[in-house]
Amino acid sequence: MITTILQFIGVFVSFSIASVSYVGLKKTDSTTLLRMTTAFLFLGVGFTVEGLVGLGNVIPDAAAFTTTAVVIGLLLETMGYFFLAFSHAVDVMVANRIGPALMVFSAITLNSTQLTQILGLASFYFVMYGMVETLYSYKVSKNPNTLLIASGLAMIAVGTFLQWLSVLYISVNILPLIQIIVTEMGLMLLFVPVLGFAVGGERVGTV
Amino acid sequence: MEKELAQYRTQVRIIADVLSTARDMNTDGVGVGITTLLRRGNISYSRMSKLLGELVSSGLLVELNSEKASKYKISEKGIQFLSVYTNFEGFAQSFGLKL
Repeated sequence: MITTILQFIGVFVSFSIASVSYVGLKKTDSTTLLRMTTAFLFLGVGFTVEGLVGLGNVIPDAAAFTTTAVVIGLLLETMGYFFLAFSHAVDVMVANRIGPALMVFSAITLNSTQLTQILGLASFYFVMYGMVETLYSYKVSKNPNTLLIASGLAMIAVGTFLQWLSVLYISVNILPLIQIIVTEMGLMLLFVPVLGFAVGGERVGTV
Repeated sequence: MEKELAQYRTQVRIIADVLSTARDMNTDGVGVGITTLLRRGNISYSRMSKLLGELVSSGLLVELNSEKASKYKISEKGIQFLSVYTNFEGFAQSFGLKL
């Protein structure tokens, strides 16, 4: 039950960031904000699907959700992390720096466990990439909010790694709980600058 | 030794640069000429001409008639756009990104 509640905190945080990004997108037509909106929408929907799967476990009659739903949830999350990393990748490539090749994988011949493992690893890769690039930006800008976001991404990266481990070591019951706590703490850190931005002197949506 | 990388600017960033030039360089209130905008905007003449047309038609810039050449002044809508742009630039920068 705790994990399900935590999942829905993730839903709230993701949709809040997506909504602030969307307001900015509407007002400025910025492609960066389009990618951020897309990333956090995917994350929000992914967390929602996982939360609903969790509810299905709590309420046996509502257990209409299957392993497929878990994989769909993870896939949506991975896509969210991809768009977050992709925002940095675009920035890096246009600055004529060497960008890493983005991972493309085929899911046609894989079973659900293998898919879950691959999605977990892909998420870890994308979040780590985003964290390193955000840290690099902090080195340039010295903006404390950027450091906070980088710390949040680091915690989410640890969370995605634990998620991957929990699939490998399915008998270790505590791993999913630790994973969700670490991930949600990371999301909270992402939310702190956004919250300050949203309430800091009617800055959003005033024009 | 730190090597400065070529700075890529998105379309919205170029618009913000042109608008802020039109705002900051209009000290005498008669508007800013295209030469000043070109120098500060750092884009080609043809691209700047097209962009200025778009900014005037969208109401972000006001074109002032002059004897020699057109001059441009930022509108109230343009000032509001710059304010919003600055806010969301800070938001994107928190995530280590540029608008």
